[in-house]
Amino acid sequence: MTHFLAVAAVLCAMTDTVIDIDEVTVSDHAVRAAQTHTSLTAIQVSRDYLQQNFSGSLMQSLQGIPGVKAMSIGSGQSKPTIRGLGFNRMVVAEDGIKHEGQQWGDDHGLEIDQFAVDRIEVIKGPAALLYGSDAIGGVICLYTNHIPTDSVSGAVQVFGRSNNGQLGASAKIGLRRNSFFFRANITAINYGDYKIPADSIQYYSYYIKLKDSRLRNTAGLERDGSLMVGYAGYNFHTDLRVSDSYSKSGFFANAHGLEVRLSDIDYDRSTRDIDLPHQWVNHLKVLSHSSWRNDVVSVDASLAYQQNRREECSEPVSHGYMPTPSDEMERHFDKSTYTANIGLKMSLGQHSLSGGANAEYQHNRRSGWGFIIPDFETGSLGAYLLDKYKPSDNLKLNAGLRFDHAQTHIHSYNDWYKTPVGTDSVYKQRSADIDLTFSNLTWSVGAVYSAGAWLMKANVGKSFRIPIPKELGADGINYHIFRYERGNAELAPEVSYQLDLSVYRSGKLLSVQVEPYVNYFPNYIYLNPTAQYEEGLQLYHYTQAEVLRYGIECQADYKITRHFEAELKGEYLYAEQLSGAKKGYTLPFSTPRSADAGLKYSHKRHGEGSIGLNVHLVGKQENIVPPEKPTDGYWTLNLTANHRFRLTGSSINVSLRADNLLNKRYYDHTSYYRLIDVPEAGRNFAVMVGWEF
Amino acid sequence: MKKSIFSAFLLCALCACSSSDKTEDMTMPEISADGSDVCPVDCQRFKRGSVIAFHYQFSDNVELGGYNIEVHNNFDHHTHSTSAAECEIESEKKPVNPWVYNSDYEIPQEQQTYTATINIDIPADIDPGDYHFMVRLTDQAGWQQLKSMAIKIEE
Repeated sequence: MTHFLAVAAVLCAMTDTVIDIDEVTVSDHAVRAAQTHTSLTAIQVSRDYLQQNFSGSLMQSLQGIPGVKAMSIGSGQSKPTIRGLGFNRMVVAEDGIKHEGQQWGDDHGLEIDQFAVDRIEVIKGPAALLYGSDAIGGVICLYTNHIPTDSVSGAVQVFGRSNNGQLGASAKIGLRRNSFFFRANITAINYGDYKIPADSIQYYSYYIKLKDSRLRNTAGLERDGSLMVGYAGYNFHTDLRVSDSYSKSGFFANAHGLEVRLSDIDYDRSTRDIDLPHQWVNHLKVLSHSSWRNDVVSVDASLAYQQNRREECSEPVSHGYMPTPSDEMERHFDKSTYTANIGLKMSLGQHSLSGGANAEYQHNRRSGWGFIIPDFETGSLGAYLLDKYKPSDNLKLNAGLRFDHAQTHIHSYNDWYKTPVGTDSVYKQRSADIDLTFSNLTWSVGAVYSAGAWLMKANVGKSFRIPIPKELGADGINYHIFRYERGNAELAPEVSYQLDLSVYRSGKLLSVQVEPYVNYFPNYIYLNPTAQYEEGLQLYHYTQAEVLRYGIECQADYKITRHFEAELKGEYLYAEQLSGAKKGYTLPFSTPRSADAGLKYSHKRHGEGSIGLNVHLVGKQENIVPPEKPTDGYWTLNLTANHRFRLTGSSINVSLRADNLLNKRYYDHTSYYRLIDVPEAGRNFAVMVGWEF
Repeated sequence: MKKSIFSAFLLCALCACSSSDKTEDMTMPEISADGSDVCPVDCQRFKRGSVIAFHYQFSDNVELGGYNIEVHNNFDHHTHSTSAAECEIESEKKPVNPWVYNSDYEIPQEQQTYTATINIDIPADIDPGDYHFMVRLTDQAGWQQLKSMAIKIEE
């Protein structure tokens, strides 16, 4: 609360200061064009921004965007959330294809090479029309398909982080011969255990002593590579991209899931080795995209295959009636996803009509001694029609309709060990054989109005999400979080309605954006902690509840002098369950309010460079739901510095980022490790040197 | 212009402070170890074939839910202890016929306090050694409280 008043007050004071500057580049036509192409709140992120804000994982680098958060899972990985919605309530798309891993899982990151990404568009709001199921909170659209323009171009980057001793390198090359092009990327990253500003962790009165303030066994590595060949003609374009991303990382050794454990493994012998428990993920993606266009019509077609293999290994331990397993493979998932998209766009005077269809087939198989999701196959088909109408130069209207149909077949699963039931002993069934079909009609209506320095957008849309097999079919203990989870085959597709408004004002000195939204779910799928016990653990049951959410993001940039620029950002989010067992409570992992104040000095001596200082304020989160704990507010001081040296035909980029300069100890309410009282990482310096040619 | 921006931010500020007075239950239930007849306590020893006369007092600000009692071996020296007490512990060993006890119990409706008294038979043929005795308690809102005791089963 005080943060927002501070924001308002500072802004007021600032606007009273009038300074003449002769060099202004605030209003950028390209930015404006990108903003008007959709009535949804959308933010463009360039490769330069990603380089300058490099801070570990891709999603951590995007955290500076109001409304976007990274749920961190250790130091090298994180999962994105948009306006508090993550997991299967948002979409990450790569070159227009939905990225399909095990999105439901709360302990692994995004399997994408962040250095292969050319640009990003973050859509905040319902984007079901183009992306179908899951695009409720929004979409993070990654583009890795930039066509090289020079005959030879490329970049080499080396980078490191102080906190976890991360070292990495990435190289890319682009070739162009007439209309043919070729691209290749390769990235390797290694990191050690990360440090927190604490020498012990207290969890359920149990003290875990840390050696040198490091979280044992949180080291990891990542290896990525991709190849792309293509033809870019005047009317016809086609490309084929193959990428593979592999990562392996340890889980904090003293608490696998929520269980505090002791082990005979000597974790402290090295800070860079990966012992048990650990996980690895390999994501293979083959993507083909073709398009044909003339002045009136364009046709786009994409085909993709994705294979996501993920494994969790831990020391075999008996649990309840489960005897000690014979090996370390706790969980293994092998998921294949086949996607086909076709789209058609047509210009008809003031109208621009587009339509398309998407088909997707998912095949998921599990193994290992720990059961969490059943085997399943899901097939889905969707078709949409969208009209963009431009009655005047200032006004754009759009309306669209989409229909989706999906079929899921969930396989039955029985325990591999017996559980006593009365006087008998049985292989308990943990998932039943279920066939389900879902249909959904979604729509969206929006307007974009621009006048002088002002741009206003309004959008109302419906989006949906097909329940995932874990929500439909699970019936057993989740040893990771120590609870009994019971699915519900009666679940209807989750539906969401959202109203978004955005107001932008871009001026010579001052740019402002204000983005409020209201979001209503008639049937949010919620895993409800009950009072009941089942096989020794608290029963969590999937239910559906009415949910109301609303929030706002604000940002103001002010050019004080030719060299100095000030930035203020703030965001607020409120969520409440309006019905069901937890009526009146919020949703899990509610994003606390936050604000940022930054000052940046930029210059053009020996190339171009900048130094920025940022204060990040986060409010206390007391709006919680069982089993969460309130999380105190905090503030951190952060610094960024960049310099680009221009050479003939190439440039050298140096960027430095220092997070948590004061080494403050704080907890992130939305972090996976918050549940076991692990504070966030301490002071960290990230350095990157890149050579682009 | 200045005014409109100021109003926008004021709106932000207003949103941020419009937290209503919540009446939801935000308090966890309690497992009280007070009283002379509390059983079992940390480091308590029991004979095989005898009885653990479980006796604990539960309380909640609104309404209690249910509870669970679980006993498993600690032959591998793992821990999820909720107490700081360090008991004398035997050397590690492989379980042959370890005692596994896991039972869910209901608490009558609309209780703010409840005294749980259960006689738990210790089988005569189980492996003696170090065990963990876990009590889990919920309230109707779904909050959970844990308590764990290290006990020893002797021949």
